Amino acid sequence: MNPTIPAWWRGAGRALWALAAILLAASLGAITRYAPTEVQMGIVQKIVYVHVPSATMTLLAFGLTFAGSIAYLATKQWAWDALAAASCELGMVFATVVMVTGPLWARSAWNTWWTWEPRLTTFLILWILYAGYHVVRSSIRSSSKRTVSSILGIVLFVNLPVVWMSIQWWRGSLHPRNVTMTGEMRTTLLLSMAAWMVFFAAALLTRLRLEWIREEALERDLAGARAPETGRAGA
Amino acid sequence: MTVLAVTMKDLRLHARDARFVATLLLFSASLVLILSVAFGPIFRDPAREASATLWAALFFAGVLGLTRSLDLEGESGGGDALRLTGADPYSLYLGKTLANFLLLAGVFVFVLPIASIFFDVGDLRVLPGVLGVAALGLIGYAAWGTLFAALARGLKARELLLSVLLFPSLVPLWIGAVKLTHALWADGTVDLVRDWIKVMAVADVLGLALAAFLYELIQEATE
Repeated sequence: MNPTIPAWWRGAGRALWALAAILLAASLGAITRYAPTEVQMGIVQKIVYVHVPSATMTLLAFGLTFAGSIAYLATKQWAWDALAAASCELGMVFATVVMVTGPLWARSAWNTWWTWEPRLTTFLILWILYAGYHVVRSSIRSSSKRTVSSILGIVLFVNLPVVWMSIQWWRGSLHPRNVTMTGEMRTTLLLSMAAWMVFFAAALLTRLRLEWIREEALERDLAGARAPETGRAGA
Repeated sequence: MTVLAVTMKDLRLHARDARFVATLLLFSASLVLILSVAFGPIFRDPAREASATLWAALFFAGVLGLTRSLDLEGESGGGDALRLTGADPYSLYLGKTLANFLLLAGVFVFVLPIASIFFDVGDLRVLPGVLGVAALGLIGYAAWGTLFAALARGLKARELLLSVLLFPSLVPLWIGAVKLTHALWADGTVDLVRDWIKVMAVADVLGLALAAFLYELIQEATE
């Protein structure tokens, strides 16, 4: 039987959502008012303040999916699988933001929406693979859903180092290797990073709460289904 | 011993199903034909086009082969029987991987001369190199393919899922195979793209190593 959701969970979630809203508003303000406009690229450069944090959150989210998957296989506790699945869903959201903001930036920087360079290609592959994770997960109805998803969460993680190292491994990469910023630009990027991080934590807590409620409902259904049989046996 | 027994069992099942093997070969030959017509009649870079065609044909034929071997086990209950023998799961995996590798190698041997003739590429001096690249590529394909095929067992639309998950996972292997084959056919040497041999070898070892940890769990989950 799963314990009911503790009250602090909802409280922590609300506090994190409030903090995320404040930080996101501050980050938006810093991007539009505080950070200077870059001389060569102009206003398009400001996409970096969304693109880089969302890419970082993508890697963090899929990393959590990997960790949750290992923990589930080791302990068989549903909460780890819930963490892996919830984190993977959020990772997909962030990855989609990366896939949208990247071409917007590339159009200005490289004069093309898309080019088959290593970082872009490997990231697109990563996106497709984790989309596949959700397709597979939703197509399994049996009790093996959690184990199969966890195995997939481990296998797919192999692609993360490939994405990370792609610009070192393959020649001819156009993608910037490091984001080096100073002054107001650096402060704005760090603020954006913090805002996205808190947003991720708040969304993850809410998504896990939904999983918790679903698990409780499932337990209630199972208990309800068992009760008449027990009653008949007793009579 | 278990590995060879499983390999022989799978190959025997394929041999009994001659219609499927013939379909697989015809399908891969048709793919090469269609793509050579699409790229031709005058090829801009025949070595590049031929290597891409060859590996595309192998990929699609391979997906058919992997799903077929799963279906055969499902229909006859062979998978359950194998588990009941109490054999080491990794030996079962290696046996199936070897069988899939040999099936794919058969398709490769069949398709290679067809691609060479249609695109007018290749010569016997680079044949050992091409066979080496094929071995690296097909070991990885069989290793990852058998792992994913086992995972997709029992799922709805598993052919589709196998393509969606397997193809992106194999991209490093695929790019390496195409680049190395192209280099051999175009320049007669792989000196400029030698790094891809390492990438392919790492992909092969990674597939086999992951299966060592996960295959037993996959078996339990998809029972």
